[in-house]
Amino acid sequence: MADAALERSAATSPRTRSPLAAGSPAIHTMGLSKRFGGTLAVNSLSMTVERGEVFGFLGPNGAGKTTVVKLLLGLARPTAGEALVLGARLGDRETRRQIGYLPELFRFQALLTAREVLRLHCRLLALPKATWGEEERTALETVGLLERGDDRVGTFSKGMQQRLGLGVALLGDPRLVVLDEPTSALDPVGRHDVREIIRRLRERGTTVFLNTHLLAEAEHVCDRVAVIDKGTTVAIGSLNELLGRNSSVRVKVAGLGENWWSGLSRFGRWRGEDEWAVIDDIDPSQIADLVRDLVALGGQVQAVIPEHQSLEARFLELLGER
Amino acid sequence: MNPTVTIAALTIKEAVRRRLLLAFLAITVVVVGLSAWGFDRLSHANSLTSGETNLAVPDALILFMFMFSFVLALSASAIASPSISSELESGVLMTIVTRPIRRSEVVLGKWLGLALLLAGYAGGVCALEFGVVRLASGFVPPNPVLAGVYLFAEGALLLTLALFLSTRIPVIAAGVIGVAVFGAGWLAGVVGTLGSALNIAALRTVGQIGRFLIPTDGLWHAAIFYLQPPSLIAEHVAEGGRQDPFYAQGAPSWPYLVWVACWFLIVLIAAVASFERREL
Repeated sequence: MADAALERSAATSPRTRSPLAAGSPAIHTMGLSKRFGGTLAVNSLSMTVERGEVFGFLGPNGAGKTTVVKLLLGLARPTAGEALVLGARLGDRETRRQIGYLPELFRFQALLTAREVLRLHCRLLALPKATWGEEERTALETVGLLERGDDRVGTFSKGMQQRLGLGVALLGDPRLVVLDEPTSALDPVGRHDVREIIRRLRERGTTVFLNTHLLAEAEHVCDRVAVIDKGTTVAIGSLNELLGRNSSVRVKVAGLGENWWSGLSRFGRWRGEDEWAVIDDIDPSQIADLVRDLVALGGQVQAVIPEHQSLEARFLELLGER
Repeated sequence: MNPTVTIAALTIKEAVRRRLLLAFLAITVVVVGLSAWGFDRLSHANSLTSGETNLAVPDALILFMFMFSFVLALSASAIASPSISSELESGVLMTIVTRPIRRSEVVLGKWLGLALLLAGYAGGVCALEFGVVRLASGFVPPNPVLAGVYLFAEGALLLTLALFLSTRIPVIAAGVIGVAVFGAGWLAGVVGTLGSALNIAALRTVGQIGRFLIPTDGLWHAAIFYLQPPSLIAEHVAEGGRQDPFYAQGAPSWPYLVWVACWFLIVLIAAVASFERREL
């Protein structure tokens, strides 16, 4: 997939929006709820996704993630609560012009070629006809389907259809891209490509709402994440905020006497592990101070290895706490 | 391009690529070819007088057109019943309805595309069959265009109903209901005709209510009227009338046509409202 293609698209696609909408968050929900019969799929969800950030929406299967996406896109109506997307009420037709969406269940017209599918969406987006050719080419190039643009979608593998779906979502230089499990059908190369595309979108200032249960995916690209389970937000914040709480640091230091750490207890809980000293529950921002103090005590610091809890471990911990 | 027209063009393009039209055309050409042979035999049969031939050819044409009306109705139901539901189930519609278009434009675009396909098929069938009958027997229906229009309207009515059902009901169920409605409408017409023939008011009422609720049979009889030579109708009137499902003594009344137009409108509005309210 080509990075240059996305940059070209950003340069050629004019964006129109009202000043009011420009100042608002990309997504803002207040007590958003959705009930299906006796099941509360989304329970009073309140969150804010700022403009230009890559926001991971995480949760186990059946947590209510896709329902939230459908509410945000106006495909379903909330039972209670409110939400604004790009400063507009849910389902606002004009706002949909600025939203790209790759659904979890992605399928395209099997009898059309990839180019024809993209052209169809250019028409539906009411993009100027003069830009269609460039839009098609850019989208195909971005998702690595330039060579297959004239092939019918019916001949595509599932992964290729998902790539095409991503290309469709990127048409018209949207301000908000909602990706629902965007790598579910992709091989490792494809997943890497999608991560690169998301990074490029962030560089362009596009907000990405990434709905996924693949935690590694979120860990790689997200600025902030929300963890949802049984329709309720379990945690929300930056990765540092979410993972930093239980950070540890391993220090290998020589030249200090016995019980040297007794004066440094303010940094966290200390324990020895072979030739390493391990400090648990340390604030990651204090590691530099710790090293400075060790040197001040006459220590020769040979190695400092910060140890973050993995998102997966934190995720399981959060779900286990419920 | 207007989104409705875009969706209509997409619907037609997909149908053409599915070789649906080609398949229908091939079957139609075979059937019309066979009918050409039949009409040729009928109009040159030595056992019939010219008067009997003049009676037999329009009746045979009506029977043939009944067969085509059945094909049109089934086709309409078959192509419309998956148009929304199967695309929702497969996910194809998800990226379309999240574009800056109204859901009504999706429904109306589908309807327009399918109706144009149906009109093309109805027009083609009528032109072929009427042409073949004229060549074989010299008979031309008194108003072939109106006959074709009513045949199309009969199919379009089922198309509209199947599209409405498709906004809520899975493909097979919608298709089956469409066909069942067509069958029920025709049966109600037959019951009404029987009621008239046997002078049983209750049966006649069933026919009238049937034509009101499901106007397919009423439209079929409108088509029949324009397929019969006026001289033949005058002859039957002079003999005190004729009661059978393949005969129509009069053109459809204006109030009835207005009701049919309302029926289309009501079901189409219901389809739009149903899809707009549906949570996807």
